Amino acid sequence: MFEPRIVCFLCKWCTSAGADLAGTSRLQYMPNGVNIRFMCSSRVDPEHILWAFHEGADGVLVGGCHPGDCHYKDGNYKTQARMSLLNRLLKDFGIDTRRLRLEWISAAEGMKFANIMNDFTEEMRSIGPLEISPGEVAR
Amino acid sequence: MTKVAYYPGCAMNDRASHLDRSARDAAVKLGFELDELDKWTCCGAVPPVSEERVMNLIAPSRILKSVRDSGRDTLITICDFCYNTLKRTNFSVKSDIITRKRVNAFLADDEPERDYIETDDSLWKDYTGEVKVYHYMEYLRDVLGYEKITDNLKRPLNGLNIAPYYGCVMLRPLNEIQLDNPENPSIIENFIISLGAEPVKYSYRTECCGSYLSISNPAASTRLCYRILTSARNSGADAIVVSCPLCFYNLDSRQQAIDEAYPDFKALPIFYFSQLLSVALGVEYSRQGFEKHYADVSPVLDKIGGISGKGDAK
Amino acid sequence: MKRIGVFVCHCGNNIAGTVDVKRVAREAREMRGVTFALDYIYMCSEPGQALVREKIKEENLDAVIIAACSPTLHESTFRTAASEAGLNPWQCEIANIREQCSWVHSDREKATAKAIKIVGTIVEKTRLNESLEPIPVSITRKALVIGGGIAGIQASLDIADSGHKVILVEKEPSIGGHMAQLSETFPTLDCSQCILTPKMVAVGKHPNIELMTYSEIEQVSGYVGNFTVRIKRKAPFVDWSACTGCGICMEKCPSKIPSLFDRELATHGAIYVPFPQAVPNKPVIEKDSCIYFNTGKCRLCEKVCEIGAINFEQEDTFVEEEVGAIITATGFETLPVNDLDEYGAGEVPDVIDGLAFERLLSASGPTVGEIKRPSDGMIPREIVFVQCSGSRDPERYKPYCSKICCMYTTKHALLYKHRVQDGQPYIFYIDIRTGGKGYEEFYHNAQEEEGIIYLRGKVAKIFRDGKKTIVWGTDTLTGRNIEIAADLVVLATAVIPMYSTAELVKKLRIQTGPNGFLSEAHPKLRPVESINSGFYIAGAAQGPKDIPETVAQASGAACKVISLFSRNHLEQDPAIAWVDEELCGGCRICISVCPYDAREFDEENGTATVNEALCEGCGSCVAACACGATQQRNLSDSQIKSMVTASLGGE
Repeated sequence: MFEPRIVCFLCKWCTSAGADLAGTSRLQYMPNGVNIRFMCSSRVDPEHILWAFHEGADGVLVGGCHPGDCHYKDGNYKTQARMSLLNRLLKDFGIDTRRLRLEWISAAEGMKFANIMNDFTEEMRSIGPLEISPGEVAR
Repeated sequence: MTKVAYYPGCAMNDRASHLDRSARDAAVKLGFELDELDKWTCCGAVPPVSEERVMNLIAPSRILKSVRDSGRDTLITICDFCYNTLKRTNFSVKSDIITRKRVNAFLADDEPERDYIETDDSLWKDYTGEVKVYHYMEYLRDVLGYEKITDNLKRPLNGLNIAPYYGCVMLRPLNEIQLDNPENPSIIENFIISLGAEPVKYSYRTECCGSYLSISNPAASTRLCYRILTSARNSGADAIVVSCPLCFYNLDSRQQAIDEAYPDFKALPIFYFSQLLSVALGVEYSRQGFEKHYADVSPVLDKIGGISGKGDAK
Repeated sequence: MKRIGVFVCHCGNNIAGTVDVKRVAREAREMRGVTFALDYIYMCSEPGQALVREKIKEENLDAVIIAACSPTLHESTFRTAASEAGLNPWQCEIANIREQCSWVHSDREKATAKAIKIVGTIVEKTRLNESLEPIPVSITRKALVIGGGIAGIQASLDIADSGHKVILVEKEPSIGGHMAQLSETFPTLDCSQCILTPKMVAVGKHPNIELMTYSEIEQVSGYVGNFTVRIKRKAPFVDWSACTGCGICMEKCPSKIPSLFDRELATHGAIYVPFPQAVPNKPVIEKDSCIYFNTGKCRLCEKVCEIGAINFEQEDTFVEEEVGAIITATGFETLPVNDLDEYGAGEVPDVIDGLAFERLLSASGPTVGEIKRPSDGMIPREIVFVQCSGSRDPERYKPYCSKICCMYTTKHALLYKHRVQDGQPYIFYIDIRTGGKGYEEFYHNAQEEEGIIYLRGKVAKIFRDGKKTIVWGTDTLTGRNIEIAADLVVLATAVIPMYSTAELVKKLRIQTGPNGFLSEAHPKLRPVESINSGFYIAGAAQGPKDIPETVAQASGAACKVISLFSRNHLEQDPAIAWVDEELCGGCRICISVCPYDAREFDEENGTATVNEALCEGCGSCVAACACGATQQRNLSDSQIKSMVTASLGGE
């Protein structure tokens, strides 16, 4: 069975804490993602996401705080704007925009994190592996 | 002479025909013409009191659409109720896409058959609230400007103390009508000042007169009118000016019932804004229909210094 | 070549139960840069930490990675252990293979594979980590308190008592704020002036407090620990050092201006002291109302002043001060009665607000404590109190509850009834909110013992009718409309932020919320700090509140300041942004993106710079930088990219 590979960029204050809560709650979800922790989701550069696709990721999850709750005031708003623009770029590259997922997950939402991981993994499994030649992806 | 599309409303053709006439006369003096719509129907006057969401909008939308179809984007009315109905219809159609679609689906029944080679499809375009609805008083304030009135006064109403009465539907609901502050308005006061008269401050100018209770509970309406009229008189008013034929009818003809119920009551003449306006602009008294009034207007006319109106004076 | 050591924790069975920790250690040993790896049962234990220290020395390690539980738990523990062995703390990283791996997966094969990838990403990060030093920021141990009401007074006293210097700036001629206007305070009915005045005097006398009244903040620059403040000291046209406070000038002044302190129920001259217990008790001349300043004539005060303290030539002066922390305690105002269209829009003389009624109650007020109505001085026998005038009204006025009105209205009705025993008070209310200590009992007593009629309903309209003021309201509990012909109406108007706050926060660059009140850093856990370092907030400026809460917040803010001042210097996390000047093209995108104004532009160099004291390390500017000139220490783009590659199982 095809096992999708997912990279998760999580913000330290909310999403990563939410993922930790999923752990302390012993919620089970599929192991297809590896988490990379940033201080804020606004650290995520579209370049990182494109690199992830280049290196073989089938899906990328970007997790930040709920609007209004960003530890750094408005970082998540910037993230949202960047992801919206990146979506358009992905369409141009012929990459299914479902492969990039932006979620607001608070430190209290362990269940939400687990559900999203399961949901996202299944979704990636259903649309199959990402097939692009590395040369197409902007460096 | 600018022609502006004009919606008279039902009262204007019958009981209140003199009000319609005075509005037209005044317009001519001010350099524009009230161009009555070719075909028009009752507007329903329903939205203020109805819970129905779509049916009550059909008749007024049809009126508005016909104005648009005739190539015009402005409609004047001289009745508060028509104004309220038409303006709120515009608001509903503009702000809610589902209402707009449903209303236009009904209106489509009226449209002529569309010929497939017809290139100009403006008649079949949905009505989306393109027509701006003006109350005559709003038109005076925003389009003509009060200077136009003051410059053309033939009989300035100096020395007259006139109390404005706003009634309920001219200003409310605020977010749909946006004419003036409903709690502390000034449009009629400014109109009074432009005629050279003195506006009277009294506390009941925005209170209900109970016209809707005329059939079901006339005693309540009598009491409400009594309070309004007495307050105006006690504040020094020579007369009250109104902008809606229903307010006019209620405040004027109900004075007979008030007289019977409250012995201390003293009559107060009621004027329609267009009557005062055309009198001030020099139109003859005989065209104003003062004889239809219940409360005797002669004291006021005497003050203005003209011939006393023949009236049904008590 | 960096020598990295990897320590894989079993965490008892928590990790080892699902993840093959021995295999993880073996695979880690093969990773690029790793020279040593082991697994151990409990890394966070004393022996575990000793192991780390030992191996750093033995294996000559430059960096260590602990693959264990979440960094939120033990990152600082291991960093301390590493630094004890001589390693820079930032060369110690944690790989989370418990909360984010062993605890959430059950398939041993897949969990182990994932744990290896997780360790791989941290290895890649660590390979390029620099040794960092925390950034020291010096602190000026002087505080600025803006606002001289009870909040500012309390905060100033607390900080001054701890031995630090305070500058207290107040825009009115005297400190005291609204509390000085009150007659008695609920629920104890303490005389407000009696409990406030000793504190005011203490402020005036305190050797550590420099009191600047009749002054305003002009400009603030700098950052936490290092603010420069420019203060405008308005000219009072009286030499305060010479003035003895005899008061003759005030008696003789022919001008009459409405007294703001007395809520315009009385007048005073153009030269005035706002109230008898003012601190400092020195008069000021209000230029706009002074006959001399307007027409060139008069100068009567100058003539009668035996000391010659009047000086019309005075000018506003400016002072610059260096401070380390700023407390904003600018207090509140109440919604003007003129704004309430339904309640007469300010044109009915016998409709007043709560603070005006306080002045009527006050023994030192315009009616010497007798309740007389403004229009004709008659003692009102029918008095109506309208709660929620402008509060809890999202459509027309303020959506929030003003918190204090239920209590002070009950207090007003009670005090009225004590003085006008044949009078009838009515209170129109929506709810009665009595959350503080003793409040419910106070209200209960008023309701039962004092014959106050409480009517649950809103007031629709208030207007004048002859000598009476008509109130149209409703009583929802009986379902009837109520009309009262009142002699006096008191509106409990909404609490709003003091008008000057809006301008001030622009100068301070701190946040306010949707209703203009100052924003706290966290609504639950950080109520007296702004999110901006070095700025603290206290009192009604943060939201409507009563005196006990205000005093508590003031002391809380003072405590934060004292805590700041007790450190030798501030330490800023060094994992912040930095600029490679060679690459920077001067586009300034980074500057526009920073939420902390930590990015500046060096005009001479033509490049962007980072203010290390202000940068919080969020990384927004790093992502925004188009050319990669701005990078984040120990989380650079190249680190991230290699981490991504490692997370996908690549090299």
